[in-house]
Amino acid sequence: MFWFQVERLLNYWPILLKGLGMTISLSLLSLLVGCVIGLLFGIIRAGRIRWLSALTGLYIDLFRGTPFLVQVFICFFILPTVGIELSAFSAGVIALSNLSACFIGEIIASGIKAVPKGQSEAALSSGLRYSQQLRLVILPQALRIVRPSLVGQFILLVKDSSVISAIGIMDLTRSGWMIVQNIPNGLLVFGVVGIGYFIICYPMIFVARRMERRQQTSIL
Amino acid sequence: MIRFQGLNKWFGSALHVLKDINLDVAKGEVVVVCGPSGSGKSTLIRCVNGLEPFQEGKLVVDGTDLSAKNAALRELRMEVGFVFQQFNLYPHKTALENVTLAPIHVRGLSKAEATERGKALLAKVGLADRMNNYPSQLSGGQQQRVAIARSLCMQPKIMLFDEPTSALDPEMINEVLDVMVSLAKEGMTMMVVTHEMGFARKVAHRVVFMDQGAIVESGEPASFFGNPTHDRTRDFLSKVLHH
Repeated sequence: MFWFQVERLLNYWPILLKGLGMTISLSLLSLLVGCVIGLLFGIIRAGRIRWLSALTGLYIDLFRGTPFLVQVFICFFILPTVGIELSAFSAGVIALSNLSACFIGEIIASGIKAVPKGQSEAALSSGLRYSQQLRLVILPQALRIVRPSLVGQFILLVKDSSVISAIGIMDLTRSGWMIVQNIPNGLLVFGVVGIGYFIICYPMIFVARRMERRQQTSIL
Repeated sequence: MIRFQGLNKWFGSALHVLKDINLDVAKGEVVVVCGPSGSGKSTLIRCVNGLEPFQEGKLVVDGTDLSAKNAALRELRMEVGFVFQQFNLYPHKTALENVTLAPIHVRGLSKAEATERGKALLAKVGLADRMNNYPSQLSGGQQQRVAIARSLCMQPKIMLFDEPTSALDPEMINEVLDVMVSLAKEGMTMMVVTHEMGFARKVAHRVVFMDQGAIVESGEPASFFGNPTHDRTRDFLSKVLHH
């Protein structure tokens, strides 16, 4: 019985592979957009314009403090009622990018704040503009500090992408749901789905661990 | 070159850290500021390049009035070098990159020009063979010499030193002081916060003693050390000179 199910599952590999591809492209695209916006959020959060920082903080907390599923539903079901029609994929990317930006923003802000004050004072004293201080002196150090937690966050976000299957995107998780209708062995099917996520995440875990080790031994 | 007129500064509303400061530093003059810790000497020197704001009085540095709301601080800082107690080198850049960063990005020098200038200055402070090392690979004394070269590479008119040797091991103090002495002899306008009274005696034109936020006494080294007029100065000198 078990081997028969395994054999049938093998017939479904194109669907699983497509699901894996969808999960990868969805996560990658969202992480990319999330990094760009998150960097901006981080700079604003650690910046000197108080009201803007507070406003951004409120926005970030709003998304960090609500379930991702609810955010996805709002993107997909509520936005159309105000005239913004989105495909499931766009809605998914927007929701996940937004969530990524919020988490990444807070991490980068903490990194900026962790750079010793003497660094910005030295940069300021030599006549660098604020934007130059950030780009040349502060951000390179801040990103080095937060790199391990940033990669950790990337892993969480790849896994969070499974939530988006709820609005009908054929990602890895939804492929699993489909296949399990035909092969009534949840453990087997979702075991394989889980392995799919692990294949994406393990290289990232590996990289993160190496980075952490390097950071501990580095003389900085 | 530097003129304090009735300058007052408070931290918050209660802590009066600088009290009615009046001080002139002429071009080419070397002024050493000393005093017990918490006397406001670091705060004083940090006012000169606008690192610390102040509430009352006037401070004019190289023609720039720092009490004005729209003071051109960035332009002023290009002309005023600042050396920190903790060096504050950029840890992700090599010694040479530390030195050439501001000349390239602030002065607009080409990389080649800046590198040439930077190499010459690093050689001058005795670190020709350490140019491609990162700060973490250098001793404290070497780091501070890089920091001095970094400031000099902007070709400033004024150099400010905030306890440049206080974070150093004793055997490294002289290598840094030697660089400062040669700088002073070249006619650089300098304000130096330090406890190194040997340095003050040797190169200072004037020594200023501060206590509790106020300038208590100032004078030429000979009279300052030979015959201080205030009890507090005498008390302080007895503590720093006899050990």
